[in-house]
Amino acid sequence: MGAGGMLSETEGGSVTGDVAVRYAARLENGVKTYGEGDTAIHALNGATAEFERGRFTAIMGPSGSGKSTLLHCIAGLDTLTSGIAYIGEIDLSTLKDRDLTLLRRERIGFIFQSYNLIPSLSAEENILLPLSIGGKQPDEDWYGTILDTVGLRPRLTHRPSELSGGEQQRVAAARALVSQPEIIFADEPSGNLDSKASAELLGFMRHAVDEFGQTIVMVTHDPGTAAYADRIIFLEDGRIVDEMYDPTADSVLDRLKSLGG
Amino acid sequence: MLAISLKSLLAHKVRFLLTAVAIVLGVSLVAGTFIFTDTIDAQFDDLFEDIYSGIDVSVRADVGDFRAETEPFPGDVLDIVLAVEGVEIAEGGVTSLATGVLDKEGDPIGGRGPPTLGFSWAEVPSLTPMRIKEGAGRAPTGSQDIVLDANTVANAGFALGDTVTVVGLSGPEQFELVGIASFGDQDSLLGATIVLFDLEKARELFGYGDEYTGISVQAEAGVTAEELTERISLVLPAGVEAVTGETERNEQVAEINEALSFLSIGLLSFAGVSVFVGAFIIQNTFRIVVAQRIRELALLRAIGATGRQIRSMVIIEALVVGIVGSVLGVGFGFAMAFAIRGMMNAAGMGIPLGALVLLPRAVIAAMLVGMILTLLSSLLPARQASRISPVAAMREEAARTPRRSLHTRALAGSVITGLGVLLIGLGLFVDIGRSIAYVGAGAAIAFMGISVLAPLAASPLADFIGWPLPRLFGISGQLARENTKRQPRRTASTASALMVGVALVVFFAVFGSSTKASINETIFELFPADLTFSSTSQTDPELRAPISPAFAERLGVYDELSVVSAMQFGRVVIEGETQIIGAFDPETIEQVIVLDAIGDAVAAVAARDSVIVSASFLEESGWAVGDTVTAEFAHTGEVALTIVGTYEHGDFGKLFLSSDTYLANFRYMGDSFVFVNAADGVSVLAAQDAISPTVETFGNIKAQTKSEIVEDAEGQIDQALALFTGLLLFAVMIAVLGITNTLTLSIYERTREIGLLRAVGMVRRQVRRMIRWEAVIIATFGAMLGVGIGIILGWAVVRALADEGFGAFRVPVGQVILALVLAAFSGVLAAVWPARKASRMNILDAISNE
Ligand SMILES: Nc1ncnc2c1ncn2[C@@H]1O[C@H](COP(=O)(O)OP(=O)(O)OP(=O)(O)O)[C@@H](O)[C@H]1O
Ligand SMILES: [Mg+2]
Repeated sequence: MGAGGMLSETEGGSVTGDVAVRYAARLENGVKTYGEGDTAIHALNGATAEFERGRFTAIMGPSGSGKSTLLHCIAGLDTLTSGIAYIGEIDLSTLKDRDLTLLRRERIGFIFQSYNLIPSLSAEENILLPLSIGGKQPDEDWYGTILDTVGLRPRLTHRPSELSGGEQQRVAAARALVSQPEIIFADEPSGNLDSKASAELLGFMRHAVDEFGQTIVMVTHDPGTAAYADRIIFLEDGRIVDEMYDPTADSVLDRLKSLGG
Repeated sequence: MLAISLKSLLAHKVRFLLTAVAIVLGVSLVAGTFIFTDTIDAQFDDLFEDIYSGIDVSVRADVGDFRAETEPFPGDVLDIVLAVEGVEIAEGGVTSLATGVLDKEGDPIGGRGPPTLGFSWAEVPSLTPMRIKEGAGRAPTGSQDIVLDANTVANAGFALGDTVTVVGLSGPEQFELVGIASFGDQDSLLGATIVLFDLEKARELFGYGDEYTGISVQAEAGVTAEELTERISLVLPAGVEAVTGETERNEQVAEINEALSFLSIGLLSFAGVSVFVGAFIIQNTFRIVVAQRIRELALLRAIGATGRQIRSMVIIEALVVGIVGSVLGVGFGFAMAFAIRGMMNAAGMGIPLGALVLLPRAVIAAMLVGMILTLLSSLLPARQASRISPVAAMREEAARTPRRSLHTRALAGSVITGLGVLLIGLGLFVDIGRSIAYVGAGAAIAFMGISVLAPLAASPLADFIGWPLPRLFGISGQLARENTKRQPRRTASTASALMVGVALVVFFAVFGSSTKASINETIFELFPADLTFSSTSQTDPELRAPISPAFAERLGVYDELSVVSAMQFGRVVIEGETQIIGAFDPETIEQVIVLDAIGDAVAAVAARDSVIVSASFLEESGWAVGDTVTAEFAHTGEVALTIVGTYEHGDFGKLFLSSDTYLANFRYMGDSFVFVNAADGVSVLAAQDAISPTVETFGNIKAQTKSEIVEDAEGQIDQALALFTGLLLFAVMIAVLGITNTLTLSIYERTREIGLLRAVGMVRRQVRRMIRWEAVIIATFGAMLGVGIGIILGWAVVRALADEGFGAFRVPVGQVILALVLAAFSGVLAAVWPARKASRMNILDAISNE
């Protein structure tokens, strides 16, 4: 898993091993405040959430409710104003920029809504990016499995500008998987895709969870997309207000209506 | 539109700053040059104002086109002048350039720097600016007395009462320092060494009889200088003239201005290079900025702005940046002026220090250059901006402006380059006059042409330069290489600026080492003399400091020497042109130098009033052997000289008389060179040892073997090269700044990409490395082009000068490699700031969806 080095290098782990074994990531009382005084915005306002290993979790909520902020803070892209975010056993607030970066490289995967790829690198180079940044070679079997699953073999030498949006997102998904991270964060990964490409991508993510035991956390607006997840947590004004298991598009829609009302 | 322009500028402070810095650097050398020359100018003006303030009329020898300071006239002229009505007071004095002062170690003071000027002490304070400093002794009154200027006294560590050795016409002589002088309240006359004696001693020492070289006159109250000048002129004998003090001052100032204008033209050429390089950078910056703002500009178009409005917006922005940059450039010019002065002085030019002077012309020139530069640089990008379609605002992939096809580019680039090469060729190989202007313009155009072609080479060359990077630095290295290939136009433009600077540096290096090689060949081939003596005191750079005539005489007694042959130089006017003319002893000269005389030309010139002319000058002047030319000498007036022969090798001079003819027509002030050969069976070293006591007493004379002459010449070339390279460094600095500029702007463009790399695990050090190597590739690209062009240009110029004795073409491989390596390394420096910036970029900015 490539994260072995991290454990010795850093001093995380104020939590018992049990919790860390069960949850790939956790947020305890997360507060994120922008600005000061009267104009202060609490993007996160005491949010607590756990993300179980091997599960596909979706985060939903109205625009501005703090979904992206939550994702960024757990993924080590942003820092909390107060509260603690853990990846496995590691308290992110104890890490300096370098260690945080290494943690992202080795233990976290990302899929963003847009601008997911480096335009000057081929699809294959983009997929292998987290490994090449670390100067590592891919595990051939695993790499082959990923390529077969995303179905990109014929397009590997193409530059991103020569790929469709759906293909680009699948490259991004393959990139997120290639280093076998503990957890993958995706912020509206299908936001820019049509329904067919979207279904392909989400099917692939679902497959990764089911077949490889991958942990995925995904922000989305769309009930249909959220229905691919095992569990949904609902965010409002920076707090977790609800959750539901084994959602379907209809049940999500109902729940959103009741929350909104 | 103005309001939008200003807001947009303020909103993009970094872009604004980067553009402005490019302008500042481009302009500052122009401003610095003017400040530098204006300062010297003002210093001279002040000085002459001082010197001539009390003098209404100056009486001097009437020598036509010659400089008059040292030509004497009979002493009784003073009585004639004193008798003129309206003369309040008048005093005569003598001046000489032919003296050297030795310091305590017996070495000459001044060296190659400012000259040594000898004067007689003037008794009437109102007719001279010279004063004995408060409590610093007295005026010279006896034949043992000497007074020196305070600056020289301080530098040489003399004290009142010290013994000072002066080398005059009759050899070294010792004096007692009785006084320390100042000029008004100034301690130094622009760094010159001033020696003052009482009139009688000065006349003896400078070789004058009962003569003066000048009489200064003060008019009675109520008599104007013009009136008095006229009155005095009426009674003066032939060969002596009177001018107003103001006229004399203006003449002196004009002479100095002429010398200065050479300097300022030279400096301005280098400033021009900087401006040229700056133009590349500024244009590139504007173009990138426009490309980055396509969305914004398209949005303005979509909401109703016309193409014209967009264009004027971009131009107004450019002008504002231009004004700000130019103003700062003038301020920065002061620093440049300091730097120029430091470099000149490091090269041994002895330019006096003092407060810098800012005249309006410096400001106007700098502002004009800055404004025109920015305006022209913004025209193309502005036109591009005005053509952005409103739809571009909607498109995600808007950043692509239509590119010219490769063919068009290749064709246009080749045509422009060809035009430049043609001009260079015309200037070098065809005799059309103004050849330097042709070569300069040709080079500039060729540079532009090559910069048009350069994008075609950018990708392959970047691959070539960057091939080891992926292996050495993994993904950072690979991305660095890919990034330079992404925008070939931008990479090429940035590299082109460096190319210009490097090309010129390499050109001078090639030219310099070829010159050295040629000199080496020439000197060993054409210089049989075992030892050559010349003076180390600087007086008249064109004629060289004369060696006291006593020197050759004293060498004559040594048995260790077989030949002692002296060479003199002087000025003569022939057909309206002042020429330097040489003289030698026809019997011995061919044992010490090779003139390649045709037939018995050297023997023939022994006849009185005959002259020999170098083959090339003979042809140039349209004369033939047997012709008679009228030469005008300061001392004897017009003399008909018969051309009795010609010689091939014109390196020593293009006109030669016999020493006898010379002595008959010049006031003999000494020899410029003395050549000697060791006697048979005596080694050069032994001969040198034998005569060293004589050489040492003279102090300001140095003996050089052939290899020492070569070394000396090489040293001078190296000094000039160092100066040129130093001046070109400004241009190189601008180019390096251009790399910083491009990278910084590119990084803004790539915010999201860098953020993504950081998000998926690139540490800051890797980001810095990526940017750094990108810069190194760009820099190396430019440097490689520059090295190539510099060598080719050097080759062409050396070939063109083959007729003038340039036999050798040499590429200083070590220096060229050093230039290449340093240029590549400059990329590392250029990248420091952008790399830091990129590595600290906020990751969240990158991934948030706008
Ligand atoms: N850098 C910032 N400075 C100030 N406020 C911010 C910043 N980033 C986010 N916010 C505010 O924090 C709140 C939460 O933002 P966040 O991006 O997490 O919402 P979101 O749930 O992802 O919304 P959306 O569905 O529109 O993406 C919003 O009110 C937003 O305006
Ligand atoms: Mg969001």
